[in-house]
Amino acid sequence: MSLNALCQAVESGNASKAEALSRKLLDEGFDPLKMIATLTETMNRLGELFARLEIFLPQLMLAGEALTAVVDILRPMIMERGEQGASKGKVVLGVVKGDLHEIGKNIVKLMLETNGFEVKDVGYDVDSLTFIKEAQAMGADIIGASSLMTTTMPGQKEIIELLKEKGLRDRYKVVIGGAPTGQEWADLIGADLWCADATSAPRLMAELLNRKSRK
Amino acid sequence: MSTPYRLWEIIQRANTGPHCDEDDFLPKIFTPKLQEIISKYEIKYDSKSPVPADDDLSDRVWQAGWELFREVGLYNTDTHRIIKVSDDEIKEALYLIKGQYWVGAGKDAVLWKHRRVEDLQPPFCIFSPDITCDENLHHSMCLAYLKEPLLDGFCAPILEDTMGQKISSGSPTEINGCTQHIYNLRLAAKQVGRPGVFLVAVGTAEHDTGQIAVSDNEWGVRTTDSRLVGTLSEFKTADTLLNRVVHYAQYGCYTGNLTGPIYGGWCLGSEGVAVTLVAYSLSGLCIHGAIYNQHFPFHLHWGSNTTRELLWPISVAGQAMARNSKLLNTSNGFSNAGPMTEMVFYETACHALASTVSGWHLWEMASARNKYRNRATPLEARLGMEVGHAVARQAMTREQANELALRLLSKYEDKAADAPKGKEYQECYDAATALPIPEHFDMYRRVKDELAEMGVDFPF
Repeated sequence: MSLNALCQAVESGNASKAEALSRKLLDEGFDPLKMIATLTETMNRLGELFARLEIFLPQLMLAGEALTAVVDILRPMIMERGEQGASKGKVVLGVVKGDLHEIGKNIVKLMLETNGFEVKDVGYDVDSLTFIKEAQAMGADIIGASSLMTTTMPGQKEIIELLKEKGLRDRYKVVIGGAPTGQEWADLIGADLWCADATSAPRLMAELLNRKSRK
Repeated sequence: MSTPYRLWEIIQRANTGPHCDEDDFLPKIFTPKLQEIISKYEIKYDSKSPVPADDDLSDRVWQAGWELFREVGLYNTDTHRIIKVSDDEIKEALYLIKGQYWVGAGKDAVLWKHRRVEDLQPPFCIFSPDITCDENLHHSMCLAYLKEPLLDGFCAPILEDTMGQKISSGSPTEINGCTQHIYNLRLAAKQVGRPGVFLVAVGTAEHDTGQIAVSDNEWGVRTTDSRLVGTLSEFKTADTLLNRVVHYAQYGCYTGNLTGPIYGGWCLGSEGVAVTLVAYSLSGLCIHGAIYNQHFPFHLHWGSNTTRELLWPISVAGQAMARNSKLLNTSNGFSNAGPMTEMVFYETACHALASTVSGWHLWEMASARNKYRNRATPLEARLGMEVGHAVARQAMTREQANELALRLLSKYEDKAADAPKGKEYQECYDAATALPIPEHFDMYRRVKDELAEMGVDFPF
């Protein structure tokens, strides 16, 4: 029994096998934090393969589900031992009002969760105010808003404007993404970060929060 | 509508079909069934043949697409139910296809006919930049495209702003933008002497209300024009889309079926994209009542379809549908490079070449990955349409097209990931006269001459 077998089970998207192996490893005394760290490396490697389309989306999503199943087992153990699960940040993530396209958002969610972020997925066609209310309820650090259509991009701007009007702009970092968006649009509406792709999102968002905490 | 008397029987299934959690539909139903079908029909991508000449393979892809659609159906995200269609209904709908339709009005009306593989009949040419543009350039861009001699139909650029306000989907600004869109378009068509030209409109409408607001035979989108009904990738619909199905059928315009299967996404690789394209076509026929398909498969990361892993499914699916049905199918190119680059001309030529010999009609060209405002011009589309006309008239075979496609791919494929964005419309065209600047035209001419030397026998 080794961590390698667990990584392979996650990589092949076999959630039930991954769950069984993780329980065995825990019984054998493996450190749950080390297990999570190793599995995160596995997921990041899969993310890189996906970035080159050497694997396709279904394989990445299945692996993500398997990893989530394992983390659900490990998390109570970590809490019991009084060790920090070290969440990198809390994110409310969704697709803006009027937009029904959610594939990109789902990939970002997966990459964030497998890299230690806590994500509240609010779905697609989401009203701007809902993003804010969900962020308040969660105590989020980041509001992530995706848009795939040029005519729904104003929803991203509306979130920022509402935050300003409510005096909450400094409370949350606003991160945007989606095919028609770009740095120019992010600058125009005053977003804190534009992510070009899902693979880079965890790193860029972690850096964004680190910059915030240093201030 | 191809099957108008089935409209309500089929739409009703959005409320009565099998229930499924949305999170389960793609990972537990769609992709596993697709994988099983690809294996069952022994469909295998061959990177050496972006334009294959294997009739048996095409027929297997047809059967696989049929089975996928029948087994998976179309998921309605509003009701969480699956619309399923039987074999008999698919057969009936296919039997009822007319195979040709008069589109457009008056002297500008055109007979749009089904094409077969290696058909000598030139493709029906729908010019479309597919992108958004500045409000003050919209009319000029409409003029520039409508001046194109080979244009049989036109889908205009999309407005992001109207009267200086940002258009927001489903809001009053969208209705105003749609009105502005169709007025610009109809004015431009009249100005260039093509008042009855076949239009696919209006792309500015993301929401059904915007589309419905501009249905008017006097000033708006006419019954001789067309509207598109999209599908959410993959195999999902919503009431806002089905509303269009009903409205277009009752209004009486031509419905087109708009789909973009994603390479690398839930429909997997090249084999899955090919099978999914066929399945989408049957879905469009039976559920949307479409008289034609507008397909734009694209690469998940690049948003393009001119590299070989996308040309192969385009070619195979086109052949599958051309050989086994009377469906009208348009192949919508998405290039990596932007306007006024040699690369966009090579990409468009290659996409048009592969599509035409495979039985498609042409819908060109979403330049620069359909991503950047103002980055598309009629010239790249013109070259694609000219290639389409040439290869049909000279009876180019799939084998010859494959050889030529490989030569063209060698010119741009390695640059796909970091393709140049090119220039914006107003940098390539004189916006006042709606004509290309000399530098742009010269580049087009150079590439056209090069293609002629490579064996494309342009009629002019």
